[in-house]
Amino acid sequence: MLRSKRSEVITAAVLMAPFVVIYGVLFVYPTVKMVQLSLTNAPLIGAGKWVGLDNYFRLASDRLFSVAIWNTIYFVILSVAPSTLIGLLVALGVNRLKGWLQSVVLAAFFLPYILPVSVVFRIWAWIFDKDFGVAQYVIGPLNGGQHLSIFRTIPLFMPAVAFVTIWWLIGFNVLLFIAGLRNISSEIYEAAGLDGASRWAQFTRITWPLIWPVTVLVFTIQLILQLKIFDQVYLFANGGRTDATIVMVQYIFKQAFQVNKGGLAAAAAVVLFALIVILSVLQFQLLKARGAR
Amino acid sequence: MIRKVLYATLASLALTVSAARAEDTIVWWDFLSGGDGVRMKAMLEEFNKEHAGKIKIDATTSEWGTPFYTKVQTATATGQGPDVMTYHESRMPLGVSEGVVSPLTPEELAAAGIKASDFSPANWKAAQGPDGKQYGVPLDIHSIILYYNKDLLKKAGLLGDDGKPKGLDGAANFDAALAKLTANGVVGLSTATADNATMWRIFYTLLSQQDGQFVKDGKFLDGDNLDKATTAIAEMQKWVKTGATPAKTEYPASIALFTSGKAAMHINGVWEVPTMVDLAKKGQLFDWGAIQIPTFYAHPATWADSHSFAIPDRKGNPVDAAKRKEVLDAIHWFNEHSLEWAGGGHVPAYLPVQESAEFKALKPNSDYVSLAKTAVFDPVSVLAGVASPVYDAAGNYVMPAMNGEMAPADAAKQMRDDLQGQAK
Amino acid sequence: MTASVESGADLVAPLAARRLARLRHLDLVGLVITLVTLVAAVFWAFPLYWGLVTTFKHEYEIVQPGFQIWPKHFTVENYVHVLLQTKIGLWYLNSLITSVAVMLIVVATSACAGYAISQLDFPGRRFFWWMILASFMVPVSALIVNHFILMSQFKLINTLAGVVGPQLVYAPVTIIIYKQFFDSVPKDFREAAVIDGASELQLLFRIYLPMNWGVTTALAIITFIGAWNQFLWPFLAVSSEDKMNITVGITQVHDAFGVSYGRDLAVAMLAALPVALVYLIFQRRVTQAIMLSAGIKG
Repeated sequence: MLRSKRSEVITAAVLMAPFVVIYGVLFVYPTVKMVQLSLTNAPLIGAGKWVGLDNYFRLASDRLFSVAIWNTIYFVILSVAPSTLIGLLVALGVNRLKGWLQSVVLAAFFLPYILPVSVVFRIWAWIFDKDFGVAQYVIGPLNGGQHLSIFRTIPLFMPAVAFVTIWWLIGFNVLLFIAGLRNISSEIYEAAGLDGASRWAQFTRITWPLIWPVTVLVFTIQLILQLKIFDQVYLFANGGRTDATIVMVQYIFKQAFQVNKGGLAAAAAVVLFALIVILSVLQFQLLKARGAR
Repeated sequence: MIRKVLYATLASLALTVSAARAEDTIVWWDFLSGGDGVRMKAMLEEFNKEHAGKIKIDATTSEWGTPFYTKVQTATATGQGPDVMTYHESRMPLGVSEGVVSPLTPEELAAAGIKASDFSPANWKAAQGPDGKQYGVPLDIHSIILYYNKDLLKKAGLLGDDGKPKGLDGAANFDAALAKLTANGVVGLSTATADNATMWRIFYTLLSQQDGQFVKDGKFLDGDNLDKATTAIAEMQKWVKTGATPAKTEYPASIALFTSGKAAMHINGVWEVPTMVDLAKKGQLFDWGAIQIPTFYAHPATWADSHSFAIPDRKGNPVDAAKRKEVLDAIHWFNEHSLEWAGGGHVPAYLPVQESAEFKALKPNSDYVSLAKTAVFDPVSVLAGVASPVYDAAGNYVMPAMNGEMAPADAAKQMRDDLQGQAK
Repeated sequence: MTASVESGADLVAPLAARRLARLRHLDLVGLVITLVTLVAAVFWAFPLYWGLVTTFKHEYEIVQPGFQIWPKHFTVENYVHVLLQTKIGLWYLNSLITSVAVMLIVVATSACAGYAISQLDFPGRRFFWWMILASFMVPVSALIVNHFILMSQFKLINTLAGVVGPQLVYAPVTIIIYKQFFDSVPKDFREAAVIDGASELQLLFRIYLPMNWGVTTALAIITFIGAWNQFLWPFLAVSSEDKMNITVGITQVHDAFGVSYGRDLAVAMLAALPVALVYLIFQRRVTQAIMLSAGIKG
């Protein structure tokens, strides 16, 4: 017994070693430094003086910071649940198809995921371009005949960016859902079909509960990912009213690189981290509790 | 036999080593893309050809604005970075405060033949830090100008016999002209109303024409400067409100509106001159011209910025004296050859070229070179310059005001409060 | 989850008659679902198609009013400059090298660590698991300056290794996913193999990994794509053109100003093209692998 326990620990050590080294150097150490930095007034690079929690108080009184927090949460609300749901629906739809048709349809949903954000930005900025974009053929009539600049109209900005983000990243969710759906044996469906269960009943009684763990996983991952949103918001807002639509990571970069306040930026990053932890733990517990019924 | 081969190999090795040592490399970073990038690339090739075997400039380009300046910051702070870089003069105070640029001593400038008297005083001063030290050497002065469609202006009776617009000076006259053009079913003035940089440039021009000062003694839009700012923004808002200028137009779309013949006038930077020239050469453009921005208020003035060359202050790994000398000599070469650069629409900063006969003959530059005399450079503040809080403020306040989403007085006030708050 | 066998033909045959009766009713709903899926797929694919087709139009045609689903005059002029006058081949190669390196290291490391945390008991196990979850929640982009300072201390700035380094911690989600999928492998497999005297490593490589081959493929693809599309870190880490990857290199491209919708799109498309092609070529394999992952469960 003792020997197998020891060999288990040694095996674990061997398996964990690369991870520990990589994360130790490239994650733990920089994060510790970041927390340290948040307690100083250091510039972007270089040392600073200890100021305790002063940076955090500054953040609390900075209106722009609260705007950033709210915008980030707003964006998450607009994108996480819809993308999870749409991912599941698409996976269900794709799962029914067979052969080459399935491959083609899956490719249609997955191809956007492989694009770098610069391409996604260029495509959608072009499609929605106020003067020459093809979407104006639909938007114009809806807007009383006038072309409308979607990304420069503040109330439409976040929904539009959420829309583009869902289009871009749905492939990831679809992939995970398909893997999960395939784990549900077809026998269960056959048995249910025999018992006269309708499609809807099959979905709510079999599919939904059995796919729940994957749903929770996808939702949590998306939540955490989208709380760190930056690229799309930066690109689409660039040149315009950047303050109105600023998100957390954008705020961090602004303080770090534009205003040259490394300590303040680090403090904002710590706050974001805390926010992510709280929100994701909360929602994970909530969803787990629901699923345990 | 083997010995002969061995000796031959050693000899050729020695030659390559010594040849490699003889040609020194200057690492160069710039943010020049588009037409400017093409032009600078050509000039770099010319320099390298002329100095083959002695000096070679190895140039890389990063995206204009935030990406470039971020990279410069991170690189210099850790001892990396180039030997020379382009740097906007408008950003010099910020650059100096960040410690990314190193001062150029009078001795090394003199040794390279770079003299203050070869540049306009305002231009030369704008490359200095608050300590009075020289941190950059200007290459050009670039500004915004008024592009115009001769045919459309003629139809509205706004073209003089000399082929230049008439009746545009004075805010009221300009507005009336716009009204005339709109009545003709034409877009009076297209400009990038969705771009903060364009907003800033036009706003600052109109402010300066009223003798307004954006920053004075650390105070933003103090006293009656606030009213002048409001006046400027209100004028810009009028253009959109009366339908003469389309709202929320992106930068490329604003150009397309003009080049496709839909807009009679277009306010944009001088760097789009090659665009017009190339299109005209292909026969795809109407009869066009460009002049200095009209005088709306008390006296002529135009926003201007300047591309300058600076040597980065690499922490722990400074550019050594010999390299600095080579860099400054190279800068001098570029100044002497800045007529080529002027082909990109810019006004050469180097006075011997600016006042030369060849430049005077260069079209359309000579049509608007008058702006150099009344050019107003960006305010001297660590919050100003390309990709700075001031540019952001133009996007956050001037832009919505111009597009009718904010009252001009509110926009001016909020802009002042925002920047003043950041100045702490 | 019950054990099942994919081909239950012998079980279904006697029930076929009863199912046929239901089939006629179900078919309509099923057809609608399929149609909706197809229409959605067309809408989903349209933006990419539209962006692509725009790159093959002349600039003056792009800004013309009217909706041209196919270029009036097909042209490749928007691509010519980039392809012929830049070091694009070198940028592609750099992207390939760094992306493959990141993919291999991340997948290998994650599978090992995911397995250890899932199946082994060792001191500090909980701590590491929390650390992984935490690392997923830290906004890694906020660490970018620290990474730069670190890499410069290791003298890895402007090297491909320096580009790869920090990217290894961008996706702790791989470990999380591996752990979840390893957790869901039925315990009877493990017990049976242990009784047969298998070591942990044998368990990992002979049972757990093969059973999750689909997940491995999916994660490998996602990691590769993520690495290929990185911009910010490679941009900061590399200063000479020869070491740039494709996403950074294309911002180097010098071409005229003015109206350049087609050109900008073309340049951007070039960055995405190789990955798109690879995906399209290996697409069948990929989807089959994922489908297969659930097959052998009995």
